[in-house]
Amino acid sequence: MARVAAAYPRLTRRRLAGFALELWLPVLLFAGWWFASSGSTSLYFVGLDAILGALRDDWLGQAGAANVLPSLRNLAEGFLLAALLGVVLGALLGLVRPLGDAVSPIVEFLRSVPGVALLPIGLLIFGIGTEMKVSLIVYGSVWPILLNTIDGVRSVDATKLDVLRSYRVPAHLRILGVVLPSAAPRIMVGLRTSLSIAITVIVFSEMIGSTEGIGYAILQAQRNFEIPQMWAGMLALGVIGYLLNIGFRGVEQLVLRRHRAMNTTPGS
Amino acid sequence: MSAPGALLRRAGSRGLGAGGAKVLTVLGTLAVWQLLSNSGALAPDIIPSPGAIGVSLVGVVGEPEFWHALGLTLLSWALGLLVSICVAVPVGLLLGASELGYRSCRFTIDFLRTIPPVALVPLALLLYGATTQMKLVLVVLGAVWPLLLQSMYGVHQVDLVARETARSYRLGPWLRTAFVIVPSAAPFVFTGVRIAATMALLLTIGAEVIGGAPGLGAAIALAQTASDIPRLFALVAASAALGVLINSLLARVERRVLSWHVSQRPTHG
Repeated sequence: MARVAAAYPRLTRRRLAGFALELWLPVLLFAGWWFASSGSTSLYFVGLDAILGALRDDWLGQAGAANVLPSLRNLAEGFLLAALLGVVLGALLGLVRPLGDAVSPIVEFLRSVPGVALLPIGLLIFGIGTEMKVSLIVYGSVWPILLNTIDGVRSVDATKLDVLRSYRVPAHLRILGVVLPSAAPRIMVGLRTSLSIAITVIVFSEMIGSTEGIGYAILQAQRNFEIPQMWAGMLALGVIGYLLNIGFRGVEQLVLRRHRAMNTTPGS
Repeated sequence: MSAPGALLRRAGSRGLGAGGAKVLTVLGTLAVWQLLSNSGALAPDIIPSPGAIGVSLVGVVGEPEFWHALGLTLLSWALGLLVSICVAVPVGLLLGASELGYRSCRFTIDFLRTIPPVALVPLALLLYGATTQMKLVLVVLGAVWPLLLQSMYGVHQVDLVARETARSYRLGPWLRTAFVIVPSAAPFVFTGVRIAATMALLLTIGAEVIGGAPGLGAAIALAQTASDIPRLFALVAASAALGVLINSLLARVERRVLSWHVSQRPTHG
């Protein structure tokens, strides 16, 4: 007990020093931006105070919610659909090797279609609207999940699978209980890549085929020469992207903690 | 590897070979697609038949304008990637080499990396208009982060034993860099290059579609406004082919350059 108490202040001090080490540069950059841009007369590089004012007026509270919520809803819908599709198809193609090998050229080709080039086709099929955006997100972000799931599923320890098979563990239990959990780290890598693609695609699709959302608001601000609003939108997007990444990291740690615990049990 | 899978694969390779199965699958998919189009299940003004797309593709490939657009797209892709590599890799290696640098910049880079570069399209458009310069700025702003991050990680992950060994043999900083740090970081840097290359292509074409800068993306947007649907699909297919080409080229370069590395050795099992 005493030892814990003695170690505690040292720990917090070290943690504080760590925070300071990570934070000095962003703080310095922010301050530098503030002073360099204060009283700026440039049309494009407006003062940071104006940007923060626009951020408060347009991106917090009611107005912000009206801009941000549609984007987040579409993002969540598209990302979850892509995750489901990617993991299910990836497990299928990874486990049934001949099938996976046979369709690999098609996967390789479809994956290489730049998501942004598909936007005109998405507009053609779905018109302007939610379906178009969600399906573009699904298309753009499913590939990293799919490919990582295939790789993860294929690299599951063969001995484990043989043991399961000789104990006649039914296929669905084998897949849900062993194959997917062992592939989890790879799947998470794919999901992480996909998340940033999904954010890019949603902003992009809102810039072209939309009347709502973050991307629409930013482009609209630029077209109306409301430069502080445009900067504020880009800043807000950065914050949202960062928060989404942090949230994802939390989920990842939760999932992989189980994985690590499982793989360090004696005898495995 | 599953036993039935191996059996099936052996049977397959005796009959047609792995390549044969792939070719058959592709042809089969195209045939089904064509049949669906012929039967009217797919409206030709929304999803044209592969035959119509093929005809249009042949026409497109015959036009000098197509090659000009392709050249412009490739030019900004390559230049943007090159600039990003020249800036990000040395800086990343330097930052990764010192614990102080690594931890000081981690948050800043993590934050900047998460801003989707497409968000900067309006700003780039304001500053440069629909030009190659605008594309370059966007490509560099997008491609620089994965390169920086991977180079930093790469140096940071250098095996401690290797580092200590080099130190106890009194290798100077130059020798240490050449024989310990660069070889250990190279696979990470290469992963960064691959991610950045994909990102750069996406951004080049994206900037062309939204911003109207000349190139493949502008041609795609033009085909859409002209409602020339087979041409639209043909151009999208061409850009996908470009992506495949770039991917396979980079994979080949990676195998060459990193042929000595564990990750490139054939795996068993």
